[in-house]
Amino acid sequence: MPRIVNAWNGVFVLAFAVIFLAVVYPMFTIFRASFVSPETGGWSLESYRAIFHYPFYRRCLENSLFVSVVSTALSVAIGVPFAFFLSRYEMPGKNVIKTLATLPLILPTFIGAEAWLLLAGRNGLFFNLFQKVGVELPSIYGWKGIVLVFTLQFFPYVFLMVSAAINSIDRSLEEAATNLGAGRLRVFLTVTVPTVTPAVLAGALIVFYLSIENFGVPILIGEDFRVLSVQAYNEFISEMGGNPSMAGALSTVLLVVTMGLTLLQKYWVERKSYAMSAVRRPEVVRARPVATLLMWLFCAGIVFTALFPFVVVMVSSVTKTSGPVMYYGEFSLENFVKAFTIAPRPIVNSFFLATVSTLLGIVFGLLVSYLLVRRRGKMSYLLDALVMLPLAIAGTVQGIALAATYNTGYIVLTGTWMILALAYFIRKVPFSIKTTSSLLEQIDKSVEEASINLGVPPFRSFLKAVVPTMLPGIVAGAIIMWVTTLAELSSTIVLYYGPWATMTVEIFQRMGSGEFGPASAYATILIVSVLIPLFFLQRVMGKDLTTAL
Amino acid sequence: MQVVLKGISKVFGKLRAVDDVSLEIGDGDFFTLLGPSGCGKTTLLRVIAGFYPPDGGEVYFGERLVNDVPPHRRETGMVFQNYALFPHLTVRENIAYGLRVRKVGRAEMDARIGEMIRGVRLEGLEKRFPGQLSGGQQQRVALARALVISPQILLMDEPLSNLDAKLRVAMREEIRRIQKELGITTIYVTHDQEEAMAVSDRIAILNLGRLEQLGTPGEIYFHPRSRFAAEFMGGSNLFEMRVLSCDEAVPRLRAEINGFPLTLKARRPACDRAYLSVRPEWVRLTEDAGEDVVEGTVESATFLGALVRYRVKALGGHVTIEVHTPRSEDIRLEGASVRFRFDPERLAILGD
Repeated sequence: MPRIVNAWNGVFVLAFAVIFLAVVYPMFTIFRASFVSPETGGWSLESYRAIFHYPFYRRCLENSLFVSVVSTALSVAIGVPFAFFLSRYEMPGKNVIKTLATLPLILPTFIGAEAWLLLAGRNGLFFNLFQKVGVELPSIYGWKGIVLVFTLQFFPYVFLMVSAAINSIDRSLEEAATNLGAGRLRVFLTVTVPTVTPAVLAGALIVFYLSIENFGVPILIGEDFRVLSVQAYNEFISEMGGNPSMAGALSTVLLVVTMGLTLLQKYWVERKSYAMSAVRRPEVVRARPVATLLMWLFCAGIVFTALFPFVVVMVSSVTKTSGPVMYYGEFSLENFVKAFTIAPRPIVNSFFLATVSTLLGIVFGLLVSYLLVRRRGKMSYLLDALVMLPLAIAGTVQGIALAATYNTGYIVLTGTWMILALAYFIRKVPFSIKTTSSLLEQIDKSVEEASINLGVPPFRSFLKAVVPTMLPGIVAGAIIMWVTTLAELSSTIVLYYGPWATMTVEIFQRMGSGEFGPASAYATILIVSVLIPLFFLQRVMGKDLTTAL
Repeated sequence: MQVVLKGISKVFGKLRAVDDVSLEIGDGDFFTLLGPSGCGKTTLLRVIAGFYPPDGGEVYFGERLVNDVPPHRRETGMVFQNYALFPHLTVRENIAYGLRVRKVGRAEMDARIGEMIRGVRLEGLEKRFPGQLSGGQQQRVALARALVISPQILLMDEPLSNLDAKLRVAMREEIRRIQKELGITTIYVTHDQEEAMAVSDRIAILNLGRLEQLGTPGEIYFHPRSRFAAEFMGGSNLFEMRVLSCDEAVPRLRAEINGFPLTLKARRPACDRAYLSVRPEWVRLTEDAGEDVVEGTVESATFLGALVRYRVKALGGHVTIEVHTPRSEDIRLEGASVRFRFDPERLAILGD
């Protein structure tokens, strides 16, 4: 007789319940709110009509699409040659460049925006320097600044995907074309380019998605240039009571776009990959000195431009300040002293919340991965789709949905730390599931069966025989979850309340009020807290960020 | 097209992958480079294809020195070990690739592709992508793609190594058939001696970058010139032998193996220490006694139907003996005493 009540069935129920309460139901709540008229309280399509009729709202959608398209195009324009130069040519300091080029992926985008404001904003370092010699720098505010930050922080996705593609295509393909009589240019155009194209598209799609979903950069540097995520936040938070219908409608529009992109990724791009189990990687050639120098300047220049601003933030944190005025050259630890003594709470909050949600994520991720890999069936297929859902939802939208759902009713979480932990957990758990389930796929089921056969019950067999072999992968996944949670702003900004402000909130607010010094101090703490675990990951465990891609 | 290699060497770092190899491959020959992995056979093939410039020596296609001809101008058709089919192109487009490069007209292109697709039996699969084909089908596409440009020379780098055993046998026969039909000079790389014997007109055995022996399959099998050639080609019992005396007139060679005396019907080798190579099927079980008869004990007997293979303790070591088409009374059990002699017509004495 089949046992209905066994541990794994219980896990199934639990997993569905968590997803329903943390994702499906909140999304449904704001979706429903978007159809409620703000004036009459009855059903209406007013908010949607407003989005497509009033230039103010329509502009938000257009702006979102515009910055995303431009940033994507530029990321491809930089990322593809970057990948080609580094994968196929010798150049000095190659490995250093490669490693540094992946850092922007993990450094918080809004700190990138902060850095560019410190450099080129009004009163910025470069702005002032250039003004002294009578040169007016182009304004960093508006779409140009947004595109600049997006491009510099997101191009590594294109770089990584394209490099992986280049290295997974066997050298013999190009040799076969050469053998059939094709010259170098022809081989490049008819073999190399087409085989790498799917990876370029995949990278571009990720960049587009991250750009349209981003909140921190446009709100810090965009000023009057409003995008969807920022406007949805404004409508929800508005000091004049807020407009849940409009916030819901804007969120829904953003959701449709991000969902569409995710589906495109899953059903189109993922299928078009030519990766083969490469026996011989493409040859790494030594180009002529001048060409090598030019390629090196390109790659090193890009990496420098992407990372230099973060150095400026760190320098600013130990610089004497008063409000927005920075006295560069005058060293002071005052900002740190203040951060650690007067307002240490945000630091503690960030670490606490990231740790709690990561621990939850590890356990949940492990259990769900098991269901997905070992209990294949209709239920696991549905569960797979549901747990991956948060990947397709912008952070702001997720935050709004959770805040709107749990501020009244049977479960009231809004205004507690738990809602932050829940948001972080549910947003990052897909990464944990992805890494652990792919690890689990590689472990043959017979390992568990052997343990069961020796008399250990199924669940304990899993814990004793399977989990230990997966441990390094689980730790790597956890580190990535932890550091990305630490840098989370978009849902935090909607969900936090007074005492539970995190470092990210603190940075955001102090930038807004022109306190550049303290903002830089928190940002530096954040950067260091992100880089140390990653350094550990790379050096001690020999893995890198690509583990989570 | 005749291919001539003169003193070819290729060095990778400290490794001499190919070391002073000279060969002449006749027009229309099916020529095989045979050897274990790392023997330099693939490197040599790639030197011929033009992918590696040799560090020494000359490559001639016919009368023409091709050392400085880049690989895409050598007019060779190459079949790669992993087929190297273009994953973004269909079967038809893959085959058309070389013709497009040569700007062949539409009508001629259709005709040649059609003929080729029939020739390798790929009808109906023209629109498939490589990822949708079985290993054997991919193999045919690779062959068709290489042949459709009517190359002067066909180069094949372990083309069958990714196929299962049955398909390998079928494909090698097909490759041989097509090669004969077209009469195209073919240079074939393999580590499988049976495959090499089955398809080749001539074989070059390579070891550690050097040419070990060159000849027809029969010459190499029956007259291996080195221990390596004897062992690699078909497996062999190999004994170190000390020559005691020799009567050239009979001829009768008295020798000693591990202290056991043995008399062979053979001439004196070049030196007193030599190797005796006897293939398992060249050992005859016998009931007679005589100075050329050896006694031993059966350690294991494996009955395989068409043959029985014995491992016999004798001559201070082990001897493998195969009895082909055995009768049931031929089968000896483990522990039985046996007598055997080496077939005097077919032993190879190697002067080391």
